[in-house]
Amino acid sequence: MRLLKRFLEQVGSRMDPEVLSIDSKRFTLNQELERQQFSRRGLVYAGTYLGRNRRLFEPGSPLLQMLAAEEDTSKVHLGRDAAWLFVCGRDVFEENIRRVEGVLELGRHYLVMFDGRCIGYGRYETSAGIRVIRNLFDLGDFLRREGSD
Amino acid sequence: MVVSREETNKQFFLDRYHMLGHRLTGDEKTPQAIRVNTIKTSDAEIMETLTSLGVKLTRVPYLDQGYVAEESGFSLGASIEYLLGLYSLQESASQFAAQTLAPNAGDTVLDMCAAPGGKTTQIAAYMGNRGLLYAVDADRRRVYALENNLERCGVENGLVYHGDVTSLDLEIRFSKVLLDAPCSGNYVTDPGWFRKRSIEDVLRNAETQRRLLSAAVRHLEPGGTLLYATCSLEPEENELNMEWLLSNHEVTLEEIDGPGEKGLTEVFGQRLGEEISKCHRFWPDMTHTQGFFLAKVVMR
Repeated sequence: MRLLKRFLEQVGSRMDPEVLSIDSKRFTLNQELERQQFSRRGLVYAGTYLGRNRRLFEPGSPLLQMLAAEEDTSKVHLGRDAAWLFVCGRDVFEENIRRVEGVLELGRHYLVMFDGRCIGYGRYETSAGIRVIRNLFDLGDFLRREGSD
Repeated sequence: MVVSREETNKQFFLDRYHMLGHRLTGDEKTPQAIRVNTIKTSDAEIMETLTSLGVKLTRVPYLDQGYVAEESGFSLGASIEYLLGLYSLQESASQFAAQTLAPNAGDTVLDMCAAPGGKTTQIAAYMGNRGLLYAVDADRRRVYALENNLERCGVENGLVYHGDVTSLDLEIRFSKVLLDAPCSGNYVTDPGWFRKRSIEDVLRNAETQRRLLSAAVRHLEPGGTLLYATCSLEPEENELNMEWLLSNHEVTLEEIDGPGEKGLTEVFGQRLGEEISKCHRFWPDMTHTQGFFLAKVVMR
């Protein structure tokens, strides 16, 4: 739970979900699933996917959308072109940030938003003298993980 | 003149379809279709967004959330909206299966051969992410794709199991079961189909399907509904399996209304029960979709 908790703190969330672990994956259950007695044998996925532990915690899309709905989380909003580059794995140049929710501070983590939805997250840092949101995870991962799962 | 095995095979199957009442060419195609994911968005929002990006969408009249993409300047499987799970790529006939099962929030649903999850995510949308949705598949690699689809589409009421659904003890009976059975497929969605398939494959698949049908019935609660579907045009995997099911289990069939034709009641000279006409067939020459078969089975 340590990596998940650290990730939530980094993006400014106060969320503290009840977590179900299946191997390295983390889930949370809605009330109907929580009430249900279900077999764990062969179970690989349950309820709302939060993400999985790798070297860092890798958030799942449902968790990103939950965080996007929280007012306290830090967010940067992009236009379509910058959003497309971001889901292709690229960093975001500062000049391509259209709007910031929270204060833009070096070293801080931000949810990356497009059209009101979260497409990933990154850290604001300086790279070769240029200020960028360093891409730490983006939804293009759905395409990249095909064939590598 | 040397005739290739593919050509011989093609003629063999086209002759069979002709005997079943359809003069198919073997070159029929199905247009790319999308299904709007109502868990995350609305038809209006996705229509507006994709249209502004130059995609020409036409509503499929018999589908709840299905649109044919007639023109698109980019791959619809790699847009930001796709990655956000606002829509899925799902062939029109295939969308009709979960729509016919008509699950709702009060149901406990089993999707038996669920991967890669197009119909599973559609079922979750009909259920409004409520109720219980069990999804099972035996192929671990395909289960990864199923998990990815559930995540992408924001499914929250699902439990996914990796295993053989005929031996998995789920300790529960279901109000609705979808058996989209592994089948021989059809040439509309598989360009190499005539090269790969033989009648022996069809008969082998029909055996597997009967084993799965028996398991499906075992998982149903009394009065529960099983939707059996294949994307095969072969009657051995379709009407003949339903004839077998009616003879061996305490079930009845319910009429399915939609585009296409009723189930066949005469197959290569063999007369089947009238009840089999309650099944439903999508023929590529009639519906401009892939070949598809549906049967709505109710447990007595």
